[in-house]
Amino acid sequence: MIMKRILFVLSYALVVVSVYAYTKHNESEKLAIMLSNEYAEQMADASAKLEELDSAVKQTLLFNHSDGSKKARDDIWRLSSDIKKSVASLPLDTSFSTSWMNYLGRIGNYAKEADRLENPDEYYKVMAQASKNLGVMRDEWMVATTGLIDRQYSMDEWMKRLDASNPDFDWSHMGSSIKQFTETDFPLTASESDAMKKRELRDIDDAKVTQAEAVDRFKTLFPQVSNDVIGVEMSKPGSPYPFFHIRFADGESIGYIDITEKGGHVLSYLAERPFGKTALPFDDLRRTAEEFLKAAGYKDVVYEESRENNTSWHMVFVRQEPFYGAKVFSDVIHLKIAKDTGDIIGLDASEYIRKEKLHRQSIKKTDWKEFFHKDVQVVQEELAYVENERLEQRLAHYLKVIRDENGHTGTYNVIVDTETLDVIKTEKLD
Amino acid sequence: MKKYLLRIMAIALLLGSAYATSPITSDAFSARDLARGATGDDVIELQARLQYISFYNGKIDGKFGYGTYWALRNFQEKYGLPVDGIAGSDTKKKLTSVTSYDEKFVMDNLRAGNQFTHYGGTPLAAQVKRGGGGRENYNLPSKFSEQDLRLMANAVYGEARGEPYEGQVAVAAVILNRVEHPDFPDTVSGVIFQPLAFTAVADGQIWLEPNERAREAVLDALNGWDPSENAIYYFNPITATSEWIWSRPQIKKIGLHIFCH
Repeated sequence: MIMKRILFVLSYALVVVSVYAYTKHNESEKLAIMLSNEYAEQMADASAKLEELDSAVKQTLLFNHSDGSKKARDDIWRLSSDIKKSVASLPLDTSFSTSWMNYLGRIGNYAKEADRLENPDEYYKVMAQASKNLGVMRDEWMVATTGLIDRQYSMDEWMKRLDASNPDFDWSHMGSSIKQFTETDFPLTASESDAMKKRELRDIDDAKVTQAEAVDRFKTLFPQVSNDVIGVEMSKPGSPYPFFHIRFADGESIGYIDITEKGGHVLSYLAERPFGKTALPFDDLRRTAEEFLKAAGYKDVVYEESRENNTSWHMVFVRQEPFYGAKVFSDVIHLKIAKDTGDIIGLDASEYIRKEKLHRQSIKKTDWKEFFHKDVQVVQEELAYVENERLEQRLAHYLKVIRDENGHTGTYNVIVDTETLDVIKTEKLD
Repeated sequence: MKKYLLRIMAIALLLGSAYATSPITSDAFSARDLARGATGDDVIELQARLQYISFYNGKIDGKFGYGTYWALRNFQEKYGLPVDGIAGSDTKKKLTSVTSYDEKFVMDNLRAGNQFTHYGGTPLAAQVKRGGGGRENYNLPSKFSEQDLRLMANAVYGEARGEPYEGQVAVAAVILNRVEHPDFPDTVSGVIFQPLAFTAVADGQIWLEPNERAREAVLDALNGWDPSENAIYYFNPITATSEWIWSRPQIKKIGLHIFCH
């Protein structure tokens, strides 16, 4: 009798588990199919838009300077952005998708900026070559993605093929072709390569410091946490700029500081520790921050803004160049200050030490009342150097404007080039 | 004796009724001056009081942004105070004398995540809508949203919760470096959800609830820290299966992760 009952319970449990497993399996299969459909749709969409992009590029080559060409150039920019977005959301070989997105971004930007070209023949030359290369890429793309679009492969198979050491489609070849096309069709402009160099800090000519000198610099700047250095490592050989990575654990503070080998400049520093409940007045903390910066040799910076968070204040200081007294927003120093003790627990000066090259620029006078709508009020005006879309440092009117927006006061930064009066950037402030 | 007792009772009654009929106020303002960039309970009180007399129409969220700043300046102008947009002792004193503040109502609604306002002259109960509100104790640079912070904290926690603090800030910085890089999507969500980009997205660990440390790490990255030194990739050499990732130029190692270009 007992045996029969046990058998009944076991059979019942087996049925329940089987039904559950079957339902789960069906659900996962449905999800996999849905995902596969979604990807197939996006790939098909990207393919269709690639055809349109190719056609738009060819259309721009029909005109010299006319509205027809302008519209087709706008299409290039829109389509390249759309395809870039699709590529970003597709499961593709990483090296290929990164190169592909870069190419698409550059072709779109080139079309968008074509009005600024001094020589109109240059556009024709560049885009004729781009059109040829785009045709090659379009054909390759069709071959590469057909397996998923035509549903020859399930999602699992597609992923396995991507991960395989010898995939049946040569993604890396496609990736390197597109990289080569990028380099030949859209080489870096002088200002871009300049910015890249700065980003990589390759242009620092300062004398090298030793490891011991770097540690000394740390001890001088942050004596309260530098009694117990637990390790100093040199950056890896692939780093474009060599630096010392110093780790410390002093009392309850644990953290790191990175100091460049050339010049012994602080790139960044952060300390983590428990915080007390008390909070010192903001004015005292700001004074501490300013005194620290002066003592540390950052003498040409001025306070810009600050944000209070749970345990600390994040403060921003920017370099002020002496000729116009303009703030240089690309040369910034970030400080993190503990609310409980006023200790400097973070410093990032990586952008500050890559000092921007600045050029003098004419300043056109303008009447802001005519420049803006009558509802807009300019509440603050100063000069600043700001990077434009072409990564050039431009002297600009840095304006703070307000406007009534249904009972709220909307506040905006509007940045206007002093020479061309082009609006470089508009930003809503919360 | 009876007269004396009666007098005491009358005074007590008078004081009691004066207390009962007076508006509910609180002197929660701390001693510190409040200026743009500040956060906390005293900013909540400032916003609620300014809203009580219709100077402030924005959300009561405890963040002293431009909305609060202009409201405060308008208040200072109307009441003949120095117009500097800073809530110092005189401004706070004046504000307290001409407004009421129902701290319990405000705090309860913030805790409950309700949308609400605190205008005077309208029953407070009629100024509440359930849901859609709440309070975050984070003050972000204006180009980032609270959604960016939440998503990045999820990604950092999913990817690097066992790593040192520096390593967590570095993972957050890699996400931001990708947003700026031409080879990657232009938004935080686009970068995080790019297929095959992050293991935590593929295995669902991104949906674990992040801890305060991960949020703090993201906050530091959003405020400009980059311990990765401009990296756009990172990997764990013990678990990485991709051969390609080893071909990337390496910058530094933090905890278990190698950061590279």
